[in-house]
Amino acid sequence: MLSTIIVKELKNIIVSPKFSATFAVTSLLLLLSVYVGINEYQATTRQYEAATGLVDQRLRETRSWARLSNRVYRVPNPMHVFVAGVNNDIGRTSIIDPTEQVKLTNSTYNDEPIYAAFRFIDFTFIVTIIFSLFAILFTYDAVNGERENGTLQLTFANALPRVHFIAGKFVGLWLGLIVPLLIPIVLSVVLVLAYKIPLAVDHWMSVAAIVLVSLLFCTFFIAFGICISAVTRRSSTSFLFLLVAWIVISFILPRAGVMAAGTLHPVASVAEVEGMREAFAKQIWAKHRDEMQERFRKRADEMQNMTAEERSAYEDEHAWEMMEQEDKARKDILKQIDLLGKKLEEETRNGRRQQEGLALVLSRFSPASAYQLAAMTLAGMNIDVKSAYEDALSAYRASFVTYKEKKEKESGDSGGIRITVDSNTGFKFSMGRESGSLDISEMPRFNASRFSFSGVLASALPDIVLLCAFTFLAFAAAFVAFLRYDVR
Amino acid sequence: MESGQPVFEAIGLTKKYEDETLALDHVSFSVRAGEIFAMLGGNGAGKTTTINLFLNFIEPTEGEARINGIASHKDPLTAKRNVAFVSENVMLYPNFTALQNLDYFSRLGGKTQYSKENYHAVLRRVGLQEEAHTKRLRGFSKGMRQKCGIAIAILKDAPAILLDEPTSGLDPQAGFEFIELLRSLRDDGKSILMSTHDIFRAKEVADVVGIMNRGKLIMQKHAAELAGHDLEELYMKYIAGHIRDAA
Repeated sequence: MLSTIIVKELKNIIVSPKFSATFAVTSLLLLLSVYVGINEYQATTRQYEAATGLVDQRLRETRSWARLSNRVYRVPNPMHVFVAGVNNDIGRTSIIDPTEQVKLTNSTYNDEPIYAAFRFIDFTFIVTIIFSLFAILFTYDAVNGERENGTLQLTFANALPRVHFIAGKFVGLWLGLIVPLLIPIVLSVVLVLAYKIPLAVDHWMSVAAIVLVSLLFCTFFIAFGICISAVTRRSSTSFLFLLVAWIVISFILPRAGVMAAGTLHPVASVAEVEGMREAFAKQIWAKHRDEMQERFRKRADEMQNMTAEERSAYEDEHAWEMMEQEDKARKDILKQIDLLGKKLEEETRNGRRQQEGLALVLSRFSPASAYQLAAMTLAGMNIDVKSAYEDALSAYRASFVTYKEKKEKESGDSGGIRITVDSNTGFKFSMGRESGSLDISEMPRFNASRFSFSGVLASALPDIVLLCAFTFLAFAAAFVAFLRYDVR
Repeated sequence: MESGQPVFEAIGLTKKYEDETLALDHVSFSVRAGEIFAMLGGNGAGKTTTINLFLNFIEPTEGEARINGIASHKDPLTAKRNVAFVSENVMLYPNFTALQNLDYFSRLGGKTQYSKENYHAVLRRVGLQEEAHTKRLRGFSKGMRQKCGIAIAILKDAPAILLDEPTSGLDPQAGFEFIELLRSLRDDGKSILMSTHDIFRAKEVADVVGIMNRGKLIMQKHAAELAGHDLEELYMKYIAGHIRDAA
């Protein structure tokens, strides 16, 4: 009985025009998105290789330890072919330097705003928006449509248990919707292999997990569609309801969560943080200037009644001490500004993490959010990528700065202009160490953490469980509603 | 089952809806094998409610609707194995051909042994043109769909057949063919319970005629008792009398 219903559903779907339309649109969109993803990944990889080559060349050409600074680029993630996530929104590079805080800048959308206007359509977008809509089109009249057509009465004039009917409907619709999704997915994989995108075993496992999670998301919408068609009498009513629900689930709930979190937990913007830092710097430099003037005035007072010889002798005697004093004051200020910058950065980052956490909790009331977050996490493209990268870059910056200071000390090269006075050779100016390039063979290199399937799966698990719960609830509701459904 | 035992049996069948509407009021009758029972009555008389109770689409408030001795609301699946149903407006799957529809509903009826030739044969028997057998139902007329519905009922090979207004909307030729078909099914020993507005056809084919009004079975007569009577006149007399009594 169950197989009869399943086969009938499948046949009914396959001969319907919506099946061919779904198959054509899905195939076109998926293959196009993967093709564009492959091209983007290849372009990003070329950019990355060229940029890192230039950085290496610049490092080799640096002749002073004091002027040594590094620039790190984010390693392109081949999962970008399937899931863009936040990849194009966050910066691609950061300067590694003692005087600057780590900050990823130059995002793809920042560099090429045209891509922001027409955002990249990836696999998750197609599933979230297009496929959920198709699921609604396939299921909105699953039960009430049969009642309206009169086939439900004829069906239940037979010895058919209701559970067989609803389960058969569900499986038949599921297969009818999933086939148009799976075939282009297989073709997309062939495309990725043909273009030799370097996906490791962990990446492939992640791709498989993303496909499974996508099927789970589609399953939710199929169960939800059947549920609504089993609680309404007219297919026009269920279609309208499902359309509104689709808009709420796909667009309103995810954004409402973010907006609510922004209101409930405000965080200073980058510009505000920068403003605070600059105001502090301005204030402390002004204070330093006043103190310096005071010191200079005191010294002038001390020398006021001296003769020219005494003044010259006094200056010779105290020059080094004065220079050291001024240098120390300047360094203290730089340290204070740096400390405040770090503090503000940490506070903002913590605040933003809390705000993001709240936004994610609130937006997860939408299965679409749970799906997108799960897929992005599985692809290593979720919103944690930025902070994880910046944390890793901060750790790298610390080791880089230690290395640089050590080298500066060893070489006695602290930057600035060196003036040598010799009775035989006269004055000699030099810009620190300028003879030949630096030996940077021991310089620490930034190693981005490797993509690990177990790691991303563990992070994505809560969203996957949530999606399972949504699907189970929708199916249970459909089942209960149909048990009470008046088939007349 | 033993010959002469009722196939359809309504025993004090009563249906009161939640809004207190009394749709059926202690209706009792029986239909034996090889017998056609025609329920006559206007809209809201309770004919379709009776059919719905036999098919367990709704549950009785009181009494029982039995098919082959099985109370529909107590053991609906077993009861439904013994009955085939043809609705007023047969609506099958429009994207399927006549053969595909027959195959699906036969399987639902528990008949998996039929071949394509069996389907063609039964469609020929109900009078559907050969070229329509493999056509999608989307373009079928009501008469053609009705023939498919009867073909499905025949293929189920159940001892009981329920027909809800089967001749409504059929042209005279299709109506005549339909009556002929019912006679042949009766000759096969099927027990047929049919609701209809069509007094002429009811008299023509029924072995027993029941008149229903306001949820009550107000008259029940065998064809022999009706001989020499104008059924239409009788119908109007009973309805009028019942209305007077109710007033």
